[in-house]
Amino acid sequence: MTLDWSVVWDNRWRLIAGAEMTVILTATTMALALPGGLLLALLRLSHVHLVRSSTTGFVEFFRATPLILQIYWIFYVLPAAFDIRLSEFVTALLGLSLNVSSFNSETFRAGILSIRPGQWNAALALGMTKPQVLRKIILPQATLRVLPALASTWVSLFKDTSLVSIIAVADLSYVSLKIRSETYRVLEVLTAMGALYCLMGYPQAKLVDWMHRRFKVVE
Amino acid sequence: MIAKRKTKSRPRIGSGTAPILSFEGVVKRYGPLEALAGVSFQVHRGEVVCLIGPSGSGKSTLLRCANALETIDGGRVVLEGVEVHDRRTDARKLRRRMGMVFQNFELFPHLTVLRNVAVGPTTVLGMPQRQAAERATELLRKVGLADKAAHYPASLSGGQQQRVAIARALAMQPDVMLFDEPTSALDPETIGEVLSVMKRLADEGMTMVVVTHEMDFAKRVGNWIVVFDHGKVVEQGPPQQVFDEPTVQRTRDFLSHLGWHGESLAAADLLVQPSSTDP
Ligand SMILES: Nc1ncnc2c1ncn2[C@@H]1O[C@H](COP(=O)(O)OP(=O)(O)O)[C@@H](O)[C@H]1O
Ligand SMILES: [Mg+2]
Repeated sequence: MTLDWSVVWDNRWRLIAGAEMTVILTATTMALALPGGLLLALLRLSHVHLVRSSTTGFVEFFRATPLILQIYWIFYVLPAAFDIRLSEFVTALLGLSLNVSSFNSETFRAGILSIRPGQWNAALALGMTKPQVLRKIILPQATLRVLPALASTWVSLFKDTSLVSIIAVADLSYVSLKIRSETYRVLEVLTAMGALYCLMGYPQAKLVDWMHRRFKVVE
Repeated sequence: MIAKRKTKSRPRIGSGTAPILSFEGVVKRYGPLEALAGVSFQVHRGEVVCLIGPSGSGKSTLLRCANALETIDGGRVVLEGVEVHDRRTDARKLRRRMGMVFQNFELFPHLTVLRNVAVGPTTVLGMPQRQAAERATELLRKVGLADKAAHYPASLSGGQQQRVAIARALAMQPDVMLFDEPTSALDPETIGEVLSVMKRLADEGMTMVVVTHEMDFAKRVGNWIVVFDHGKVVEQGPPQQVFDEPTVQRTRDFLSHLGWHGESLAAADLLVQPSSTDP
């Protein structure tokens, strides 16, 4: 079997554009899913039972079902049932953001609950309001503690964006698989695809390792 | 040298005038447990009231009820005519007037020592950063820790952390300071520096409610001793009475359990030893 790497070189700009889309999807999703996750976490800690239980239901649904189903659902069911039409990109972003927000909400919630009650008491005793305590005292500590977990989610997300290729969003996976089907150079194209994911993913994974060491909680 | 030191306790301050803080039949339940079963005593302005009693007798609960960190199930707490647990009372306004110091310090670990002290005034009073930093610096000097302003709490010893916590509470310029076993979590060698800061505060006329197992402190600095047992006040009175002629068997049991047989010079020396808090 002879290898013909020219197919990779000839399609370099398409591959780079695909990689760009992967990065854009990852970054935009996380930019939405951090505040989204925090909001869901706060709703889950609400004193109002209905707010708490409905948020829990929402989060558990997105955590318990496959991402691929969620994306298909938004892509096919929303237009059919509610006449809501979204572009492929927005569909992908919505599916990923809802999914990652749900995971982030669990992370934030665990972080907030890990701060001992004495910190609340000390801040309340100074006369702060609950929102002030949350903003100034609890969230800064909680966020620092969950930074490694959030970073791990980021790396998973980076890889999971490949799922959006099923609805024809031109990310690195979609572009690679398309080039493969056009050229039939399976090995070369998949190798290039793997190399590009690795090139981008490895530094991120290393960064996560570093964060785990740097922000390990010692009490 | 061994001559018995005569501790002359101050007379009860402000008796006859209205108390600044009063507890009237306060009841607090946790499920079936009655943590406070009708507690009554008064604190007058400028007084140091020490709460003593066995562990689990309700002392910490009482302090948390005093500044509405806990709700109550009966009775009332009144701070200068304002009922603390009344629904119309703004609990946050009252908390500003009561500084609280905890057994485990509860400093904010993500803030520098200076910011720990300044965060109350900036957040609660809306004081400008610079002014709050000036106030914080001054208070840190007062507790002997001006040089630690830029440090984080984790790098300080327990005694130093507790002195920062006292400065943090003082930054709100409270009318009353509540101390919950401020030296119980400390290494023996740093207890003295915290007690001497507290003694100085008392000498300056600060009104203080102190839960403590430091009987020497209670006897020498306290003006009024309240003995707790099982959620009740079993005895209260001036220190000479409670320590030297306790009228209740419970008090005698508790004191002898602590090894209190009159005056213990060793521990008393903690209060007079030269400390690093002196400038
Ligand atoms: N948040 C709480 N929930 C349930 N029980 C509590 C709580 N806080 C205190 N208690 C109980 O109330 C009693 C008094 O506790 P506490 O005020 O901490 O005593 P002390 O400070 O005198 O050692 C204890 O029996 C304790 O277990
Ligand atoms: Mg206690």
